[in-house]
Amino acid sequence: MSETISATNAKLEIARSPHVHSHWSTKQAMWLVIIALIPSVISSLLFFGISQLLIILVSVSFAVATETIIKTIRKQPISISDGSVIITGILLALILPPNFSLVSTAIGAVVAVGIGKEVFGGLGFNIFNPALVGRAFLQAAFPVNITTWTKPSFTDAVSSATPLSLMKFDNKFESLNSLFIGNTGGSLGETSAIAILIGAIFLLATGVINYRVPLAMILSAVIFGGIFWLINPLHFPNPLFHLLAGGFLFGAIFMATDWVTSPLYSRGMWIYGIAISLVVILIRLFGGLPEGVMYSILLLNGFVPLINKYTKPHIFGEEK
Amino acid sequence: MKLAIKMIFTLSIIGIISGSLLSKLSGWAEPKIAKHRLEDTKKAIFLVQPKANTYKKIESLDFELYKVSINDSLIGYALPYSGSGFQGNIRLMIGLDCNLIKITGMRVLEQVETPGLGTKVTEESFTCQFIDLVTNPLIECIKGAKATKVNEVEAITGATISSKAVLRIINTGLGELRSLKAEGKLR
Amino acid sequence: MKNISLIKEYSKGVWKNNPVFIQVLGMCPTLAVTVSAINGIAMALATTFVLLFSSIIISSIRKIIPAQVRIAAYILIIATFVTIVDLVMKAQFPELSKALGPYIPLIVVNCLILGRQEAFSSKNGVLRSALDALGMGTGFLIALFSLGGIREILGNRTILGLQIMPDFFEPWLIMILPAGAFLTLGLLMAYLNSLAIKTKKKEKALLVSKFIIAKNKFKIEAEI
Repeated sequence: MSETISATNAKLEIARSPHVHSHWSTKQAMWLVIIALIPSVISSLLFFGISQLLIILVSVSFAVATETIIKTIRKQPISISDGSVIITGILLALILPPNFSLVSTAIGAVVAVGIGKEVFGGLGFNIFNPALVGRAFLQAAFPVNITTWTKPSFTDAVSSATPLSLMKFDNKFESLNSLFIGNTGGSLGETSAIAILIGAIFLLATGVINYRVPLAMILSAVIFGGIFWLINPLHFPNPLFHLLAGGFLFGAIFMATDWVTSPLYSRGMWIYGIAISLVVILIRLFGGLPEGVMYSILLLNGFVPLINKYTKPHIFGEEK
Repeated sequence: MKLAIKMIFTLSIIGIISGSLLSKLSGWAEPKIAKHRLEDTKKAIFLVQPKANTYKKIESLDFELYKVSINDSLIGYALPYSGSGFQGNIRLMIGLDCNLIKITGMRVLEQVETPGLGTKVTEESFTCQFIDLVTNPLIECIKGAKATKVNEVEAITGATISSKAVLRIINTGLGELRSLKAEGKLR
Repeated sequence: MKNISLIKEYSKGVWKNNPVFIQVLGMCPTLAVTVSAINGIAMALATTFVLLFSSIIISSIRKIIPAQVRIAAYILIIATFVTIVDLVMKAQFPELSKALGPYIPLIVVNCLILGRQEAFSSKNGVLRSALDALGMGTGFLIALFSLGGIREILGNRTILGLQIMPDFFEPWLIMILPAGAFLTLGLLMAYLNSLAIKTKKKEKALLVSKFIIAKNKFKIEAEI
């Protein structure tokens, strides 16, 4: 769950609370997550071309390098092998648009690990999901590049719009089939629902992630999206569109379930998932931006300590 | 009691000194500030109405509107109008012909859009599209293609919201102006 | 208090008690106007002007003002100088005044100014107050210039309007947005704090080694 901090004399090892029992050690779980990400990596290479591998490699190597440098400066043990920083690198790459500038990718990776994680003290201490911090930084720093989408193509890059911006600005809805397979404009790993679902089934089967947050997000997105759809089916998309378009599934499976930045108790997980979906739907339908998964997860990350405080189960026999 | 008088006395003295000092200073500064403001307006009006050489504010209206003319013959109007953009208010200066159909020019006076993205609405490449644009029917914007119709402009890539906001401001401003004209208030 | 040298009275505001990095005062202008180096300089100079003259006036009439109404009196004096700055800037530098927007009138509520009046000028003589104000002003100038400079270089490729970064460097627009101000200030503060901690550690180590030497000497002398 959290990094072990050596006390000054290195004899006593104390882990930061909470001490949640899990079948897997942190290191094992992180490698399982990496395995679960493989289908999404493959789908991104399939749909956007083999050159996208460069983005992933740059992102991972700069994330690892940043972690190494910061740990060395702070004279802490280097913890690359626990895999968490590699996950941050892959996740960041998969939520970037295809053919994104490599220099900017590198900057994003440095910010994700440096400002998103190490500033707070490293793995287990960060409030916000590091990969999303990196993405948010890039969104604010290079708004033009990060909203230039290329259509999936095996030959050459064609500029296109994402299904969500088509929905927002032109009131056109992409077919659900192409959203499901991933043959549409969007971030590298986010377009293919089927690849994400394979990873999700793997993670749920191995018990690395808890089903509550993704389930809460999906159910409430269907409900909230459905309400607006019933009000005006011509103007608002149907609820399945909300699930399959943009980064919703990717966020629900890989981002919102991050061990460090999501709630600890089951009641809190439900609240967290429902709130994320509500904010996503509100941003998508009424906000200024076409997509809102990144901002809503980051926003709710900030609420996690509060959610934990109020959903803490009572100890047996404790007076209310 | 003595203390109260002392308190009142000190504060009054400080107030009087600072007040008189400031009134002297504002007597010197106000005309200069007014001149700057006038020059800004003048510059903006002549940018959107390049042919004109005189302008006059229409005083009878409750918002700003300028009559623009060449040697006393009316050639159109200049309308400063504002509305909400992506992040805050956008304030435009719109130049119009006499019939309120064609735009003679458009300038963005104030805006707080995203730097490098929404701020492109202030650039020449965007504003020059408005010259000789027909505003009736309403102006529309298209994306990713050159404008073909007389009432169309090309939106800025990646800044659709800001582009649309500018169009919305112009359309509502003109709508208001037309209803005023219909009531015969533009004399 | 009176045995502090005049030079120290000036220099303490520049570094040891830097108003932005150490005292964390006047955050509103610090974060809001530092989109470029020139804005930072203009804001710092305007603040220094107000700080200097209100310090001089307040320290010279500090014995006349009744304690109960001192804050009201300070604010009156500060507001007068702020209005002077505002009017002069609007009349002489309309462009700069537009760029700084409402932040010039807001100098009135800058904690740095009222804080120095309450903490220093109301207890010290005119010369010392003026030096203190100048020192704080210099510290403020350094902080705002470095913040504005860093943000301008990364966000706009330029410093003081001169392009110094090559064309292929993609400007980081986040740096000229409010978020960039918080990031830059946070990282700068963290860096300066780490420097301060290091120097403190060194001083402590020096003191300890001196103590040990003295102790050993004492031991040797005692043995003799």
